[in-house]
Amino acid sequence: MLLGFLIAFGFVLSGAVGAVAYFMPAIVTAFQDTGHSITLITPAATAATTASAAPSASPAATQPPAVAAPGAPFTVLLLGSDNDAKFGGTVLTQSMILARVNPKTRQVVMESIPRDLWVPLATGGSAKIDDAYAHGGASAAVATVEEDFGIHIDHYAWIGLLGLVNLINQVGGIDVVATNPVMDDYYPADLSGKDPYAYERVAVLPGPQQMNGIQALEYVRSRHGDLRSDFGRSQRQQQVLLALRAKAKLLGIADLPDIATAMANDFSTDMSISEIASLLPIASSVQLQNVQQIILASPYTSNLQIANEDALQPNWNLILPETHKYFPAV
Amino acid sequence: MNSRRVRRGITVVTLLALMAGFGFGVNRLIASRKTKIPSETSSYVPTATRPAIVLPGTLYLAQGGQLYSLSDGFFTSLHSSTATGNWMQPAYVPGTQEIVAVLRAAEYSNLYLLNSQGAVIRQLSNNAAAAKNVTKVWLNHWMFWPHFGPAGTLYFAYDDPKNSTTYAVDFSIWSGSLAGPLAKQRLTTANPFTGGDVDPTPMANGDVMFSRYSISNGSAYSFIALETKPLVQPLILSTGTQDCGQATPSPDGTMVAMTCIGGTGFQSTRLEVAPLVGTKLGTPHILVNNCLCSAPVWAPDGSGLVYYNATDAAGHFELWWIKGALTATPAAPLEVTTNLDFDATSPPSWSPLTSIPVMTR
Repeated sequence: MLLGFLIAFGFVLSGAVGAVAYFMPAIVTAFQDTGHSITLITPAATAATTASAAPSASPAATQPPAVAAPGAPFTVLLLGSDNDAKFGGTVLTQSMILARVNPKTRQVVMESIPRDLWVPLATGGSAKIDDAYAHGGASAAVATVEEDFGIHIDHYAWIGLLGLVNLINQVGGIDVVATNPVMDDYYPADLSGKDPYAYERVAVLPGPQQMNGIQALEYVRSRHGDLRSDFGRSQRQQQVLLALRAKAKLLGIADLPDIATAMANDFSTDMSISEIASLLPIASSVQLQNVQQIILASPYTSNLQIANEDALQPNWNLILPETHKYFPAV
Repeated sequence: MNSRRVRRGITVVTLLALMAGFGFGVNRLIASRKTKIPSETSSYVPTATRPAIVLPGTLYLAQGGQLYSLSDGFFTSLHSSTATGNWMQPAYVPGTQEIVAVLRAAEYSNLYLLNSQGAVIRQLSNNAAAAKNVTKVWLNHWMFWPHFGPAGTLYFAYDDPKNSTTYAVDFSIWSGSLAGPLAKQRLTTANPFTGGDVDPTPMANGDVMFSRYSISNGSAYSFIALETKPLVQPLILSTGTQDCGQATPSPDGTMVAMTCIGGTGFQSTRLEVAPLVGTKLGTPHILVNNCLCSAPVWAPDGSGLVYYNATDAAGHFELWWIKGALTATPAAPLEVTTNLDFDATSPPSWSPLTSIPVMTR
């Protein structure tokens, strides 16, 4: 009897070891890149009023964020950064997209936050909103968006340039309908050259096409040749996210180790690996007609010159009601 | 006693081996559940496949930076060197078995005249910045979408001139000839910061149909435009709401095939045809809806049209055929190729001549 139990246990243990070995890259990533906690930052009372305000290295106060109940709608802040050599480890978030996911109704709302939006930072002072991440990482970015937009964010996910490139390559590329020729003579040559300050030319031809990671990055990152500048690429970023969703429909939990390996060091989130895995079936079942897209162009924002910089003045009287239609106010 | 120990030892070793095998089996079982998408990115080369049907004449197509011809049911590789870039957008030279194609490098593209074997006869443009200006990337130029008109005039999109005081880089439509200067005449003035005017298709009467981009209300729209006189405001044949481009008139000039962007988040297109009466485009008829249809091209005899569409999980673009697309009752779309991965930004070029370089098949 005991012998039989030991033999059975041996097989179960062996199977478990085999499974753990398979998921090892994902487990390593889970420890390194996922499960990060968000600490909500309260701005110091004596905060400076300029963009050069010092980051709050030790937040004045922290509180654990409320977590959405399983199956309940939740909000994710998607962050994307130029994290190449010229930023020296202090990166901004060129892309900030609020996503509201309702697992029951399979509805998704995406709201792009313009990176040049001039706002009070949670760490103190006012600056472009893309600066929040540089002043305190994801916690500062989340806290800034929560405070300025009056909403609660359940999770965040941050991805760097190479993370996006590798993710798209890992899923075999994405099919994108380029809405117009995307032309840029001043595209940063920070991934392909030795000089992170050099430029290169980009020309994404219009129409449906399959893009690899580098091509997709050019499509979502280029802005100089677009009349809409940052708003144009915000729209393209949402487009690529939806194209990735089409590929996510085909992925399963067995694909996570390869994806984790591909994105290592260029991805972080406060979601656990199981929470990420649980998002895959949601992504697969969301119909395009159930996706709502919001871009905060004029009249939600207007041009602003401040501290010798071009920025965007938020029209909170319009932004907040629009945002709170989809993202509950707190 | 000893034999008992030996038997027990053998049993233990066997059980341990079985357990290890079981663990390995579990590992491989999970691995087998992986999606096949990444491995599917490597597709066949066209010459290793046969199309589902034999199409008349010769089609020139591009895949993976290489050019191919499809004639009499066989693909032939045009062995053009890819040492300095990727070949794309072939255009047959009317009345010959030569083609003009784009060689795209990292920061510029040039037009080349090739023979039927893919050998370069002549470089037609020089859009690379001079060696001394190698860091001044803006001194490079792009040239795309070559297309011959009935009089042998070559039309194409070109991003010159550029205004060095702004970031604007936009295509406009140009014409020239193989005999003289290539970029001889500028035909259109693009809307700045939109990407510009692309994909010129000359008509029998000398007018040039092309796609014009415009940005309004925060979105980019494509319009089908008709240039009747150089540098005069073109006639706009479609609306921004339709968002149509890649227009190609039928050989008899009575119908226009086009693709139009639609759906949430610009994730799909429609393949449409619309009657062309004079300079007016009639009510369009949708041939294929909610697809990734791209680059429609009419058969030289007007018997139907081909286009690209991506329908498999890997998202590869295959060649499709609709017989009778000019008629009121076109046939259902037929997938001509499988397991290939054509460059959807390279419209096929369809010559009425059959060209089969048998030795290189």
